[in-house]
Order: sequence, then structure tokens, then C-alpha cells
Amino acid sequence: MSVILQAEKLCRYYRRGSETVKALQELDLTLHKGQIISIVGRSGSGKTTLLNQVGCLDTPTSGRLIIAGTDVTALKEKELEHFRRNHIGFIFQLFYLIPTINVLENVELPLVFARRHNRQKVLEVLELVGLAGKEKLLPKQLSGGDMQRVAIARALINNPKILLADEPTGRLEKEEKAPIMDLFQQLTKEGLAIIIATHDLAQARYGERILELKDGRIIAEHSPETIVRLRG
Amino acid sequence: MKLGVFAIKNLAQHKVRTILTLLSIVAAVAVLFTLLSFNQGYEAALKDQLQQMGVHIMAVPMGCPFESATLILKGGKIPAYLDMSVMEQIDQIDGIQIAAPSLMHGLIRPEEGRTDIFLGIDERMLTLKNWWKIKGSFFKKNNDIILGYNAALVELAEVGDQIYLPEYDKTFNVVGILESTGTQDDGFFYIPLATAQALFGQEHKITHIQIRVKDPAQADAIAGQLQNIDGLSVLTTAELMGTMLSLMGSAKTLIFSIVLIAIVISTLGVLNTVLMSVFERTREIGIMRATGAAKRHIFALIWLETLSLSLIGGTLGIVIALIGAGQIETVIKRFLPIAPQGSIVSLDPGNLLLCLAFILGIGVFAGLYPAYKAATANPIQTLRKE
Repeated sequence: MSVILQAEKLCRYYRRGSETVKALQELDLTLHKGQIISIVGRSGSGKTTLLNQVGCLDTPTSGRLIIAGTDVTALKEKELEHFRRNHIGFIFQLFYLIPTINVLENVELPLVFARRHNRQKVLEVLELVGLAGKEKLLPKQLSGGDMQRVAIARALINNPKILLADEPTGRLEKEEKAPIMDLFQQLTKEGLAIIIATHDLAQARYGERILELKDGRIIAEHSPETIVRLRG
Repeated sequence: MKLGVFAIKNLAQHKVRTILTLLSIVAAVAVLFTLLSFNQGYEAALKDQLQQMGVHIMAVPMGCPFESATLILKGGKIPAYLDMSVMEQIDQIDGIQIAAPSLMHGLIRPEEGRTDIFLGIDERMLTLKNWWKIKGSFFKKNNDIILGYNAALVELAEVGDQIYLPEYDKTFNVVGILESTGTQDDGFFYIPLATAQALFGQEHKITHIQIRVKDPAQADAIAGQLQNIDGLSVLTTAELMGTMLSLMGSAKTLIFSIVLIAIVISTLGVLNTVLMSVFERTREIGIMRATGAAKRHIFALIWLETLSLSLIGGTLGIVIALIGAGQIETVIKRFLPIAPQGSIVSLDPGNLLLCLAFILGIGVFAGLYPAYKAATANPIQTLRKE
């Protein structure tokens, strides 16, 4: 399968007072189309920093990051905004839906910013994530699982190449977790590549590769089978 | 969904805060529009009123000519008198078309809560005010009276009726009623000059002389000659109007300064509301950035919220000012030294455009900082914020 993301010796350092924090250290990573990679590690290990780099929300201190054939480290701010809009989808632990607008409008929002109004596409994506019939509901009227489905639909609306999920099931009830992860697996069949950052080893096993991060470095790679054993 | 709709929905999220902010804009704009309308209307009405008088010069007893002129226009008891002999000197001056002497006297009627203004006049007044239309006739006898249009309404009198003045134990026969002139003349009670002088104990005295010149361009020159007459103080209507408008100008500056402060406060109110909402939605803004919003989108969204607030508040303010113009006019008239007849609040499209431009100014200015703040927020930090 073709490579969608290639990170080479990616570093992200920043200053905290007189101290230099090495959030990512010479990280190499390859992600293929239709692949799920899980990133595990404790808080502060660099999971979110990695997602921010891949999501073009932040620029690395050094190293190269090539996404869909484009070296994003060479892009200027406006080009990064444009690139992010067309190639990256984000999902967060707390869903972060806009409370004042309904399900349909939340999903439509990225299209509004991209000036690509397409109501039909919004309805299709909502159906894909299992929210058909709930278009007019406000976020507060939804369960946690449905809120995360809205967030996934919002992330998918611009046809991204990579979906970045930061603790996507962290705030969900036990019975809501598996359907969301199953949905991710379903999406990879369309060629979507997904990076999941999680503490939850049970969810991490959905990844084809499971990378363990510590102090901004990959210290181990696990398979879904070995991670199940690690959980005990 | 359009970005504007999204902005309105964001404003609707905090209804009380939005309404309070709107009210401050409504008040500032309503006051501004009313003042602009009043200022323009009052100037125009005052000019009309003075022009309709057909009088170019007013001669009053020595003293403060402006006070006397004001009392004459408004109606009241003039505290000083001229001797009728000045009329002979005035008549010798070239260029005067007509000079009409009058004796004005105010009769206070506390039980009715009003002052009836009696004006002693003779035929010369009829020549001066040649547009007067009298239902009935001019005086033929000493105890004849002509009522101004409004005075007749107040007295419920018709031609042929009698009016009794208990203060002087005197009965007048109503021989004529003025058709409405739309000026102060409508409110006066007109009696023969000699009768007024005898009745009010001012034999051979008058309170003022209204003069029309043949050529208005010569008014100043003639006023200069009149000034030389002993005991006479002279005022041209142009001077009178200029002084009144200049007095108005000072009051206007003061009022506009207060309105300016109100405007600054409402602008800060808008700025504060939008800025608070930006701070509260820091994470939301981060999410929008992560889901494809460029800085300009965030800037536009926040700016649209401010502009919507200003436009809605401003439009409401103008509507309220338009609806309330009548009531506002009634209140203002009570406090004015001279309130011309007719409307003194002019609802001019120019003022409307000025207010709309001003509203947009509030929106544009108050929205700049919050919009800039939101657009330049670091998306990573905003997403991290709990």
C-alpha cells in the first residue's frame, strides 16, 4: 500500500523557563493508506505533540514530514492552513462540538470554511457514521458516543487523507467504545489512514502497529496480539 | 449554513448579555438620531417661523433686546415700555414699509394653568401681517376682541360671543377669529391698542414695534438709524436667529459631548461582550482552526458577531427614535425658550445614513481587537486549555 505519511528525524523542542523540553526526539514514522497506527504512552510522552505535528497545527524544530507527497515542513502558515483543511481530520477526547449549532451544522462547518457548501455530502457522511435522522439535534441532546460520531463526521467531511484521533474513546461509556473503534476500521477500507493516541491498551489493539512513546522517542513497537498480553 | 448565521447563533447563546449590550447601543443610537433630527428640525422651524413673521426688525425698550425679543416671540409680560412718541421718529426713517406698535400683556390664569397673552394692536398690524385671514372682522369698537386660532379653541368662542375678564371687570365682544397661521400668533388675544393701554394702565405706552423694510438687504442700515432713537433697542431678525442658533450651538456641543461619552461606553460594552465571548470560546476557536478554519475565518466570524450586535442595536435605536419622535418633541418643546409651531424634529435621510455609518463604526472598531485576539490565538494552546 502507498505511503501517505513519512516522518524523518522529527524533533520538537520548546523552552519552559530556562529548561529545554524535548517533546519529540528524532522520531521516524511511516504510515500507509488504510492503516491504523496506535500511539501509546504516559501523559507527557509526546503523543499529542506528534498529532499536532502531523496535523500541521505546529511546525517541527527539525526533521522532515511528508504527507501525501508534500513536505509540510516547507509550507508557510497560510499554505499549512490550506493543507490541513484538505488533508487532515481531527478527533478529540472531549468531542469539542460547537454547542450553539445542530449536528448537521457542526459537520458542515469545515465546508463553510472551505467555501464548499454541499448539504448532500453532509447527509452522506452522517449516514456513514450512523447519525441519519439526528441532523437537527443539538450536541447537548446526544449521548457521548453520538457526540463522538458527530466529531468523526466533521473530521471526514473534507475527505481527509489522515484522521488524527486523540483519546477518541476516553470519555465514552464502555459499551460505546467498541462501535467507535469499529467505525474507524470501517473507514480504513476506504483508504483512510488513522493515527490514534491513547492510554487505553484495549483500544490501542485496533492499530495495525502500536508504537510506544516515552520522552518523545519511540521506545517499542507492539503488535495487537502482544499488546493484549501486555494488558494481562 | 453561512458564517453570518453562525455568528448570530453564537450571540444567541448568551441571551441576557447580548440583550444588555444591545440596549446600550439602542440607547446611544436613539439619542444620537433624536438629537441630530431635533437639531436640524429646530433650526429649520425657527428660520421658517421668523420668516413667516414678515418682520425684519424688532424695536424694544432699552435693556436686554434678546430677552424682550424672546418674550415677544413666546408671549409674556414685558417688563419695560416705550413711549408711543417713538413712532413719529420711526416713521421719518426712509426705507420702512410698515412699523406696527404693540402692547403685550400676560394675564396669568393659575386655575387653568396657563397665561393668556393679550396684544394691543391697531390697523398697522393688519398691514404688516397681510397674510392674516380673519373670520369675522377687524376691531370697530373699543371692546372688540379678535382671537387667535388656538385661543378661540381654548375659549370655545365663536364670532359674536362675549369674553369676560374678571380681573378687570371688562367684557369683550368677539368680532373675529384668526384662521390658523401655524405661528405663535394663533395663541394670542388681540384687542385695540388704545383699549390695551387703558386696561393695563400703560397709557401711551407700547412694549415693542415690529418693522418690515422695503428692501431686506437694507435691514441692517435701517436698524442702525433706529438705534439712534433714544430709549430704543433694535434687533434684526437675522441677528435674533443667529443668537438663538449660537445659544443652541453651545447647548448642542454639551449634549453631543454627553452622547459621545454614551457612545464610547456602548462601544466598550460591545468590545467587552465580544471579548468575553472570545475568551470563553478559546477551545472552540482552536477546534475551528483544527477543522479547517484559517485565521481570516476566525477574524471574520468574531467581526460578524460584533457587526451584527451593532447593526441590530442601531437599527432598533433608530426605529425607537422614529416611533418616539412625537413624544420626544413634546418633551423638548417644554424646555425650549422658543418652540416654533409645527414639527421641530426633522426625520432626515441624511441623519439616518449618518447614524447607520456611526453604528457600523461602532461594530468595526469594537470588533477589531477581539477578532484579532481570536484569530491569532495559538490553536495548540487553545486546544490544551481546560
